[in-house]
Amino acid sequence: MKWFKPVTFCLILFSINNVHAQIEESPIKIFGYFQNSLQHWTAFEDIREHNSFSLQQLNFFLQKDLGRNWTALVNFEFLNNFSSSRQWGDANLEEAWLRYRLNEKFNIKLGLQIPIFNNLNEINNRTPLLPYIIRPLVYETSFGEFFPVEEFVPARAFAQIYGFLPIGKFKFDYAVFLGNSPNISINNYSSDESPNEQSGIDTTTTFLVGGRTGIRYGELKLGVSATHEKINHFMYIAQYIGRNPSELKEVPAIRLGGDFSYGFGNFWFESEFILVDIKTGIPELDLNLEFYYATLGYYWTEKLFIYGSYWITESHITILFTDEDFKEDEGILIPNFGIAYNLTDRIRMKAHYSKVKSNDTIRLILPNRITKKEDNFSVYALAISVFF
Amino acid sequence: MFMPLQSRYSFRQRNRMKGIFPILLFLSIWPAGAFGQVAVIANPSVPVDTITNNELLDFYSRDIRLWNNNKPVTVFDLKPKGEVKEAFYAFLGKSTSRMKSIWMKKMLSGEGDPPAALNSEEDMLNKVSLTPGAIGFVQLKLVTQSVKVLAVIESK
Repeated sequence: MKWFKPVTFCLILFSINNVHAQIEESPIKIFGYFQNSLQHWTAFEDIREHNSFSLQQLNFFLQKDLGRNWTALVNFEFLNNFSSSRQWGDANLEEAWLRYRLNEKFNIKLGLQIPIFNNLNEINNRTPLLPYIIRPLVYETSFGEFFPVEEFVPARAFAQIYGFLPIGKFKFDYAVFLGNSPNISINNYSSDESPNEQSGIDTTTTFLVGGRTGIRYGELKLGVSATHEKINHFMYIAQYIGRNPSELKEVPAIRLGGDFSYGFGNFWFESEFILVDIKTGIPELDLNLEFYYATLGYYWTEKLFIYGSYWITESHITILFTDEDFKEDEGILIPNFGIAYNLTDRIRMKAHYSKVKSNDTIRLILPNRITKKEDNFSVYALAISVFF
Repeated sequence: MFMPLQSRYSFRQRNRMKGIFPILLFLSIWPAGAFGQVAVIANPSVPVDTITNNELLDFYSRDIRLWNNNKPVTVFDLKPKGEVKEAFYAFLGKSTSRMKSIWMKKMLSGEGDPPAALNSEEDMLNKVSLTPGAIGFVQLKLVTQSVKVLAVIESK
């Protein structure tokens, strides 16, 4: 059945072209981008020093204007040298939405989409737009296998209303969206199993609700974002803390975000924060996440951009088990430096250096003992980002 | 050192020409490169007679796509780089590369396409005059009665 996927894909493309020919609508637009990188990681934990080429990401878009006010877009994303036969990487249907645009003040987007949250979320996977090779950590979807990206930012929504109100030279942005609560769609929950079976169907009566409001004035942009959702991935540990799983069935999680960006002369500054508070309502279990980043860049020429960036990720976990109570504070600090050079309008070369410093402090309550673990490693990366 | 008269004359002429040549070269190039004033032109159907740089930026950045009579705004860009194009985008407060990154962001977010880039100012004049709701820019001296002038950008 290896032939099945490519053949189906070709058939879909062929049928799209045929439909176009038959009904003579505006042509379908096919475009996308990819980023290939060469990364050198120094040793950390039990992973030895290594080099690797990688097709970090490839996105493929189909877009069609279905009339003056209607647009449909589909976005396929392939990560980390995707190969189904070798079971490498990921292939995701990132977006498939229909938008109705009345005017700049009112747009409604229905279907799978990346919601507007802070400055970067909506464009976090648009690699040609970003100078980074490794994006600010919570936006680095290619790290999704080992970093909980979706805990920090809302990855998908299904309905969104957005736009801006122009008042003089100011623009007041707004967006409100609705989606599924992530990680909540577990088919077969049983108390002795971790939640590993997900259907994509939200099995609760709750929604992810969120939005952003902000102001733009020339090159100044700032805003605040928030989401509320309910998660149930702590249900499986209920028995270990002597609780009924139903108490952890719908745990509220609140994200708060803020973003600020400003261009002055040849300088560019942008920053964000995200705070995630998971309100279990029981003292035995508490989880808070924090993320901050700031980037200061300088356009050396119109084509050459140099930058320094600093990212901080922190998680604070309290788990008071009956026989193994602990509090854990983990931090990851990453100073970065990089260069991005636009070889042409569609080709961007990038170089990036990151120094990763992680520290993990675990306080065991009984016996009273503190364990500290620190790690430092560096990542050197070169990449080419191509928009086609 | 003696030289024939003709040769001496030619030598002086050549020396004089060495000084004159750069001036002549400058004069021959300057009028062609100097664009004087740039006119922001529009199709006669547009419902305004003047426009500010902020309004133009809203149209060119594709933030606003409708005139106040709800008819669509069509914007055109020039393909060749040059003083006319630079003066126009400087009037908007943006470099051409910054505008390109704004358009790319819009395109990759599914929020709109960049403006069609035309090969020459003559094409621009022609397209704007034929496309309802269109805006563009050309040297003021090229403007004809087939388009409306919404603003004039003074040369620096």
